[in-house]
Amino acid sequence: MFALPRKLWVDLGALEQKFLQLSWKLHPDNFVNATDEAQELSLKGSSELNDAYRTLKDPVARVEYLLAIEGERKEGEKKQQAPPELLEEVFELNESLEELRATKSAGADVAALKSRLEVAEESFGKKLAAVDAQIEATAKDWDKAVDNNADAATRKKIMARLNEHLNRRSYIRNLVLNVKKELEEA
Amino acid sequence: MGRIVGIDLGTTNSLVAYMDAPTGKPKCIPGPYGSTLCPSVVSLDPDGTIVVGEPARKRLLTQPERSIYSVKRLMGRGLADISEELKLFSFRVDPSSESVIRVQLGEKSFTAPEVSSFILRELKNWAEAYFSEPVDRAVITVPAYFNDAQRQATKDAGRLAGLEVLRLVNEPMAAALAYGLHEKPAASGGKVAVYDLGGGTFDISVLKLISTGQGDIYQVLSTNGDTHLGGDDIDNLLQAFVHEQILRNDRIDFSPHGELAQELRKELIALKHDLSEKEITKLRFPLPSGSVFEFEFTRGMLDALIRPVVDRTMNPVKRALADAQLKPEEMDEVVLVGGATRTPLIRRSVREYFGRAPHTELNPDEVVALGAAVQANILERGVTNMLLLDVTPLSLGIETYGGAVGKIIPRNSPIPASAQEMYTTGVDNQTGIDIHVLQGERELAKDCRSLARFNLKVPPAPAGLPRIEVKFLIDANGILQVAAKDLRTGEAQQIEVRPSYGLNDAEIERMLEESIEYAEQDFAERQVIKARTEAENILVATDKALAGAQARAIPAEERAKIDSAVIGLKEAVAGQDYKLIRKRIDDLNQATMHLAELVINSAVSTALRGKSVGEI
Repeated sequence: MFALPRKLWVDLGALEQKFLQLSWKLHPDNFVNATDEAQELSLKGSSELNDAYRTLKDPVARVEYLLAIEGERKEGEKKQQAPPELLEEVFELNESLEELRATKSAGADVAALKSRLEVAEESFGKKLAAVDAQIEATAKDWDKAVDNNADAATRKKIMARLNEHLNRRSYIRNLVLNVKKELEEA
Repeated sequence: MGRIVGIDLGTTNSLVAYMDAPTGKPKCIPGPYGSTLCPSVVSLDPDGTIVVGEPARKRLLTQPERSIYSVKRLMGRGLADISEELKLFSFRVDPSSESVIRVQLGEKSFTAPEVSSFILRELKNWAEAYFSEPVDRAVITVPAYFNDAQRQATKDAGRLAGLEVLRLVNEPMAAALAYGLHEKPAASGGKVAVYDLGGGTFDISVLKLISTGQGDIYQVLSTNGDTHLGGDDIDNLLQAFVHEQILRNDRIDFSPHGELAQELRKELIALKHDLSEKEITKLRFPLPSGSVFEFEFTRGMLDALIRPVVDRTMNPVKRALADAQLKPEEMDEVVLVGGATRTPLIRRSVREYFGRAPHTELNPDEVVALGAAVQANILERGVTNMLLLDVTPLSLGIETYGGAVGKIIPRNSPIPASAQEMYTTGVDNQTGIDIHVLQGERELAKDCRSLARFNLKVPPAPAGLPRIEVKFLIDANGILQVAAKDLRTGEAQQIEVRPSYGLNDAEIERMLEESIEYAEQDFAERQVIKARTEAENILVATDKALAGAQARAIPAEERAKIDSAVIGLKEAVAGQDYKLIRKRIDDLNQATMHLAELVINSAVSTALRGKSVGEI
């Protein structure tokens, strides 16, 4: 729809311009007095336009989409497993969460546990930022590979890395959301 | 085709507006009581007449069991979600209500869309009386946070009122349109915050205005709000404060819903308005004991009292800005909507938070209706130099295994928007898959709002073999449509999405039939009655004039013309064609012009007889 190459760097300003231009053409408001068929087409076209814009605007969704159309997105069974280097920290975190719940239901003071969890939350927050940086760097590798007409094997390798990053990201993100929720409830 | 109008169907008041071609500006249409505000109150008289607006508001006190206000709070909602509302509002729910709530008005009960349709019909009548032309299409505004079921219910109400709803527009978008912010060069590419504190609800939206070669685009970036926060809360705080004073000083404890309390509330609302202009004012309230409660209010006291309400609006404001990834000082314009924003403290707080003076030039009660009229005009003309790009206020999700929710369209996505999901079977020869669609931000299905449940039909096959693609589409009105396709056979499947708390087509059809029973006569019929009354009046006047002395002064030829015009009008009155009646009235007026002159001259000279010129 946006006629963009399969690269991961996107000029957001240009993307928005194109989005607005196409919106003028496709939005249902321009077809209120048109035939049912034209209204149907406008609804289909403008929803696809909006879906595409939503995906391309977000760097993570963009990577997910690229992997999906290349047939390389694998969420796999590994998704819910902790990345090995995080195991220890995740164990600790889960223990703290357990403790928090137990202390809370016993009606005892949770202040100390809360501050421990807040530290953990911050640490995982930093890890999340690190993964995002990795995704960005690997995205650049991908664009280079496209520009240099790299062979299929090279591309596959880069996509496998992207896939790993995405799974790691979604794991850490879930952890952070969980901790946030528990902290809010405490 | 009839006229098109913009309607603000509000919780407390509703308004109707149109685009005034000569001035190019939208205008609100006044009702029979002179005000452009129609209280959103409906009452059922014992004889079965539906009363709407100001007279219904009076009946709230005299016959509360036959009257209903704030019906907007019930739109598209089920019994389970309104338990909170029932604590705050005295809705009388029909105990036989099923999934769709029915409220009791005297001996009858109605659904919320039906009650809303009575309000819409009243506004339609106002507009038809104003134009002397039928009105059949409308743009209706809804709060930005309204979910699918609430939007659908609003659209149904329009249909029941005999209006084709061309578009549901979000209220903040309408407010920005009314201000025509795009027309100011300084605002091009600007970010606008719309702060809307109504009678019972608070709404904040962040919009972006973009000038392009083709015209101007209004884009909603994010929206947030609180459905239980509004000017009524200010009145409640004020009332609780005064109740306590009276209890302490005069030892009188009156029930908060009694007639005396209603009287006091009216006084306090007036006092609040007074304090918007003045720094100090005095309350004098006669008590049943014979003494008079007197209290001096300063604006400072009012401010201290309502500070909690203002503070509560700030959380949604912060969330909306965070979603739009903007800081308060990055806003180029701030627009105030809703009567409660006349309060000086609110204006000051908003100014301080955003670091700029908010727009207050338009009447905050009318601004949403005016914007609806602008959008109605855009849609009517078809070709436009203005485009509204809206977002969905809530995430759309599907219930997954274990009662969790898988989000498929995140909140604040531009609409129309769609998402595809693939389904297959878990058991051999399974013939259906249950799908539960939800809206909301929570992770568990039970905490989100159920939009619809439906059963996807699957041809019998070994488990995991069928591949059915379901497409969920949110249209430009924010309403959900679902379509399914069997990827193996390529066969499309029609899915009727029965809203969990909405009306289905058959129910609407039945209500449409019933509504004729309650509705006033339709436009043409009312026109015939009006024209006939006018004809009767002129026929009586003509008879009288012909019997008078002046009639002898007119020539026979003229007399014959009058006689034939009288016969013509009488014939027309016997028929149903109001246009013909009007034409014949004009003919008779034409024929009697000379006679009328003679009668008037004679009346004037009679009145003046015996008086000197100096006395006149």
